[in-house]
Amino acid sequence: MSFKRPDATFELAGVNAILVRFGNQLNSALPAYLSALRDHLLTRHPSIISQVVPAYTTILVEYDPRQCRMYDLQLLLERELQMVAFENTTQYGKLVELPVVYGGEHGPDLTAVADACGLSEQAVIELHSGQDYQVYAQGFAPGFSYLAELPQQLRLPRLSTPRQKVAAGSVAIAEQQTAVYPYDSPGGWHILGYTPVTWFDPQASPMTPVEVGDRVRFKAVTVQQLDAWVKEQAR
Amino acid sequence: MSQSATGFQVIRKGFFSLVQDAGRFGYEHLGVTNGGPMDAMAASWANRLLDNSSDASLIEVTAGGLELEVRTQTMIAVTGGDLNLTVNGEPQAPWRSFWVSTGDRLRFGTPRLGFRAYLGVQGGFQVPEVLGSMATVKRDKLGGVCGRGEALQDGDFLASGILPEEGIARQIPERFMPDYSGPLTLHIIPGYQQHAFSKSTWQQLMQQPFELDTRSDRMGARLSGSPLQSPTLGMYSEPLSYAAVQVPADGQPIIMLNDRQTLGGYPKLGNILPLDCFALAQRQPGTKIRFAPIGLMTAQQQMRRYLRFFGL
Repeated sequence: MSFKRPDATFELAGVNAILVRFGNQLNSALPAYLSALRDHLLTRHPSIISQVVPAYTTILVEYDPRQCRMYDLQLLLERELQMVAFENTTQYGKLVELPVVYGGEHGPDLTAVADACGLSEQAVIELHSGQDYQVYAQGFAPGFSYLAELPQQLRLPRLSTPRQKVAAGSVAIAEQQTAVYPYDSPGGWHILGYTPVTWFDPQASPMTPVEVGDRVRFKAVTVQQLDAWVKEQAR
Repeated sequence: MSQSATGFQVIRKGFFSLVQDAGRFGYEHLGVTNGGPMDAMAASWANRLLDNSSDASLIEVTAGGLELEVRTQTMIAVTGGDLNLTVNGEPQAPWRSFWVSTGDRLRFGTPRLGFRAYLGVQGGFQVPEVLGSMATVKRDKLGGVCGRGEALQDGDFLASGILPEEGIARQIPERFMPDYSGPLTLHIIPGYQQHAFSKSTWQQLMQQPFELDTRSDRMGARLSGSPLQSPTLGMYSEPLSYAAVQVPADGQPIIMLNDRQTLGGYPKLGNILPLDCFALAQRQPGTKIRFAPIGLMTAQQQMRRYLRFFGL
């Protein structure tokens, strides 16, 4: 099946980096492609390319300007972009399941979201937990993952007045995305539930449960099931 | 702490003092930022004065107030801003190395010139490495004395080696000492969404003065001035390279520095020449800032000269 990658454009990003842009639209084939491209570049050109950071529709390539001129790097990248297959797959990487307690004190916006979407609370939970999400980007805090794409029926603009404090572990949605807050922070997303995921542990291997291109699925559980899961994780 | 531990006892933590080394690299794709000395050039000088490796750890003292008691004998070096350092009450000019021994009191006062001083020690400070670096990054909770990203606290102990005999005290030639006084020009390499900004916005950027804002920190230097017109792009977050210049909707540019978030969703004009960011790290809030364009080739040439000079 032929499937076309968005054209790449190149932008300067300082004395030692180039940003490669693959259009401006979310594309479900990009996370897997960018993740594979990252591995490919770091393996093939370790003396020139020091770091590669993917996010949504772009990838930042940091290089040593003493080893390679920007123009030559761009030519090299144009070649290498062809070497990595661009496939119409969302079945890339690993799938991690996160248990979520929806609604109640853990999901203060569930009712409002259901009302705004013209759905029952149960329908919102089933839609949110009924599909896999891809990790499109990691950042904001170490390991924090931006997950997309949310089902059309659940897409809402951010809250007009952000909350002063959103608890760590809050499972939230806004526009096409869903995410789990890594720590207590202000936030403007709609909170549907709670999961005690640890996005980042420098002592663990791997340090993050997922990386860009991997997938996450939420599973609706009771408070008791969640407690059992937490105990299981601690062992 | 064992009886034989040698190093430096923190008597007073001061305003904000951090263990830093060259920085934490290779984990940006997971959202882990770099850290490292805000004025990397001054830090490089401190390590050079001591013949340390360029990634040896040192203390970044911001705005002063740090007081240490020496519990070893060794050579130290102080570079960067002049924060009115005294040793046992005697004023010490920066940009040189000197011998200290058990019982000596190092005390940083308030800034006389510049904003951040670097205190290096022979062989570096010994704190645990986290992800290959000792650099303290508060928002990532990584690095520093306990490895969890905390700034120096009263009572912390900074372990370092012991030198059997006094080394040769050295001083940096005056011609190499940067001038931290007066206004600063930041050279910008246009990049990222440069074309989304109008020609008149670019003209405005090059012509009008800005001021370094008090809300600046290790994440970013915030400038304030007559607002720039930031394009509305509805963009997704994208990776932020060092010294990228973001312009949020309020039109006040932010230069993303060592502890920046690895992703950002605001339109960007390009990146500042890193050497200028080092100089910016020595400016206090209120300093007048101007922009000037620089080409990539010229910027890379200047960086190559700097890297070669310090053997980086």
